[in-house]
Amino acid sequence: MNTDGNLGNSLAGLTIVEIGDQLGDYAAMLLAGLGAEVIKLEPRDGSASRRIGPFASTAPDPEQSIFFWRYNLNKKSVVLDVDDQDARPVLAALAARADIVLLVGEFETVARRLPLWRELAEKNPRLIVCTITPFGLDGPHRALKATDLVQMALGGIMAVCGYDPGKDGEYDTPPIAPAMWHSYHLGGEYAAVAMMAAINFRELSGEGQFIDVSVHEAVNTCTEVAIPTYIYSGVVVKRQTARHAAPNITHMRLSKSADGVFMLASLSPFERELRALAQLADQVGIAHVLGTEEFVQLEKDDHVAAAIYRNDLLEQVVESLPADELFKRAQAHGLAWSPIRRPEENLDDPHFAARQSFATIDHPELGRDLRYPGTVASDGHAPHFSYTRRAPRIGEHTDEVLSRLRVPTKT
Amino acid sequence: MMGDEASKGRRALDGVRIIDLTWLQVGPQATRLLATFGAQVIRVEWRERKAIDFIRYVPPFAPDHATADGGRSQGVTRGHGIRGSYNRAGYFNNTNPGKYGITLNLNHPKGRELLRRLVRDANAICENFSPGQMDKWGLGYDELRKINPRIIYMQTTGMGKAGVYEDYVSYGPTAQAFSGLTFLSGLPQPRPPAGWGYSYLDHSPGYFGAIMLMAAIRRQRIDGTGCYIDMSQCETGFMLSGTSIVEHQITGKPTARYGNRMPFLDWSPHGAYRCIGSDNWIALSIQSDEQWRALTAEMGSPDWAVDDRFASAASRKQHEDELDAKITAFTIGCERYDLMNRLQARGIPAGVVQKAPDRFDLDPQLKARGYYVDLPHSEIGTWPIEGFPAKLSRSPADVGGPTGRAAPKLGEDNEFVFEKILGLSAGEMAALSDEGVI
Repeated sequence: MNTDGNLGNSLAGLTIVEIGDQLGDYAAMLLAGLGAEVIKLEPRDGSASRRIGPFASTAPDPEQSIFFWRYNLNKKSVVLDVDDQDARPVLAALAARADIVLLVGEFETVARRLPLWRELAEKNPRLIVCTITPFGLDGPHRALKATDLVQMALGGIMAVCGYDPGKDGEYDTPPIAPAMWHSYHLGGEYAAVAMMAAINFRELSGEGQFIDVSVHEAVNTCTEVAIPTYIYSGVVVKRQTARHAAPNITHMRLSKSADGVFMLASLSPFERELRALAQLADQVGIAHVLGTEEFVQLEKDDHVAAAIYRNDLLEQVVESLPADELFKRAQAHGLAWSPIRRPEENLDDPHFAARQSFATIDHPELGRDLRYPGTVASDGHAPHFSYTRRAPRIGEHTDEVLSRLRVPTKT
Repeated sequence: MMGDEASKGRRALDGVRIIDLTWLQVGPQATRLLATFGAQVIRVEWRERKAIDFIRYVPPFAPDHATADGGRSQGVTRGHGIRGSYNRAGYFNNTNPGKYGITLNLNHPKGRELLRRLVRDANAICENFSPGQMDKWGLGYDELRKINPRIIYMQTTGMGKAGVYEDYVSYGPTAQAFSGLTFLSGLPQPRPPAGWGYSYLDHSPGYFGAIMLMAAIRRQRIDGTGCYIDMSQCETGFMLSGTSIVEHQITGKPTARYGNRMPFLDWSPHGAYRCIGSDNWIALSIQSDEQWRALTAEMGSPDWAVDDRFASAASRKQHEDELDAKITAFTIGCERYDLMNRLQARGIPAGVVQKAPDRFDLDPQLKARGYYVDLPHSEIGTWPIEGFPAKLSRSPADVGGPTGRAAPKLGEDNEFVFEKILGLSAGEMAALSDEGVI
């Protein structure tokens, strides 16, 4: 028994068959990182997500999609035209052995493929069939066309992200969909949650089941106070620059450090934080009246002026130091300030190096390694998720998997 | 306690008990999902301002007139919280349905002893205190596994406990800024980032927490293995920005923001466009020349649309600012839902930028799918709670969990937990209450 209980192999023995587009890559990869074997069935020219950039090559190439690489670690690829009658024996053999089949894509595609899997599931009652579609398998909007942007719009995340309105309260900038495919992330994470629930249920009951994941609903779950604020008080929150959407426009939290990096820095209404600001100002030699009678009086006389004073001082402190130094000093005073880093800046951060947050993956075709975000947690010694193999090339494992199934096939 | 656990049919996590020391947002999101699948989640708080979940103080509050036998049906107005009650916060109610609630003073040795007794028969314990707090109480993983070697211990912090920032403080926004998620959101530089309008990294780690806890619970059921999970909100942020991290290693170029546009595919126009009304927008995502022609047809085939600049996706992308201005000149005269329906009828991905009232009052899809779930609360009555985004045919998600309720009142289930689970007598409970333990 592994006393640390690392989870990287906890789903070993489970087989997931993945069929479909970019709505499902991430969900299957999450379970692959916990040890499940994921077999991705792809058409001869590769699955749709291989057409999404960026590309490592100058021209789009299904073997060079960085998007595909990122969301398909640890998986195996089998070329199979799942809509062809000739594929039936292979699909039947897979359904007999698999634990989970993931059917992903637009409603029409998934709805067309589903009846076969209902049939196959009758022969393997332990089988879990999980669909991921933009809006779910029923309801009046089930067949609407969607992309990540459209899902972020309809699902409500866009409306709470963006920039401050002008002084007249009107917005002159559009709502923003935070970049990087978050509707797929949300759909994928919830699909993984649902699949893990179904796997647990099967341990109790021996029964498989059908799961119908709606990306639209997944996005809807993730807007924090927006819905409760409306439900309980009838108030609609307003989006604002780099801070929480709220019923009112709050104080700006972005300021630039001495080396020109945007810092997220603010003060909570706690005495402790005010003292910390005063100490930081002292350290960098900025004169101030915090902690004096003068400031106490100002707070009594003019609360707004006192708040402006505090925030001006905060900005002066931020402007006086480079971002990384500011981050460390603020932390030493218990202030949760942070530089707004580019994602790649964390590749060289000593904390995440110590945690092995990034998995080093060999790309023999490139003659080099690439480092991928590889976990969300540590067992104290090693990452809980385990990613060791680059995304498969189209059909890389066709022979391996089909020979294991012992099904005669023309493929 | 309202529900009878046996009466609701089978659940995926029947028989699983979670001791839930989490608070704020990032911890409670994970345990919410476990309650949704039937785990008995016991939330621990204490009757002192600092030991009560801060979210209980956060608006919106149920209207002052809302009572246990009413709720939303009594009408919606801005509530103020009611002095002496910690049970009227709407967001807390939405975040903690299906859970049991007890009060237990962990600063009291007898409180810690009772917690150890709860841990003895529990499957998992979850916390998101500042790093090190549980060790100070002698309740860290190494201590608790001596009591229960099968225990799954999950702690969530901004940076992650292992590593060189082990005692750094962090909230969702801190982790978002540090991880790169804030940077990625917004219009191109030199505009500042728009970031996220909420703590995204208080939510995604919750989903991950549920995934890992359920993987660990399954294994625990099979072979009794315990598990220590040191979750990092920042690492979750990396998982959610992976393409840019890998791309950077290949190109060597710093990651850039691109607003609502789509640099990774030949999709254009691609953005949010203004419609009739205050702050009303529609998102359009044109994926092909065929969709472009359908859009121009819907716009009445204006002369400019056949201009060479807009003839191909590549060319449209080159002239995206001009294109966006032309599209806006059209959409600004359109009613947003009418336009969405017209464009969808032509096979174009188009969607209204929906605000909360749109999603709660109008969205026909959410209604048809039964997304919002009415659940009773013992003090403020019945309110709609955000649901689970998937239908499971045999072990359905149920955000009301084993309690069949929305969030617990502070200490609502003391009797159930201390008497029924720990077997304390009424006299013992009274004495512990007098001593300031429960």
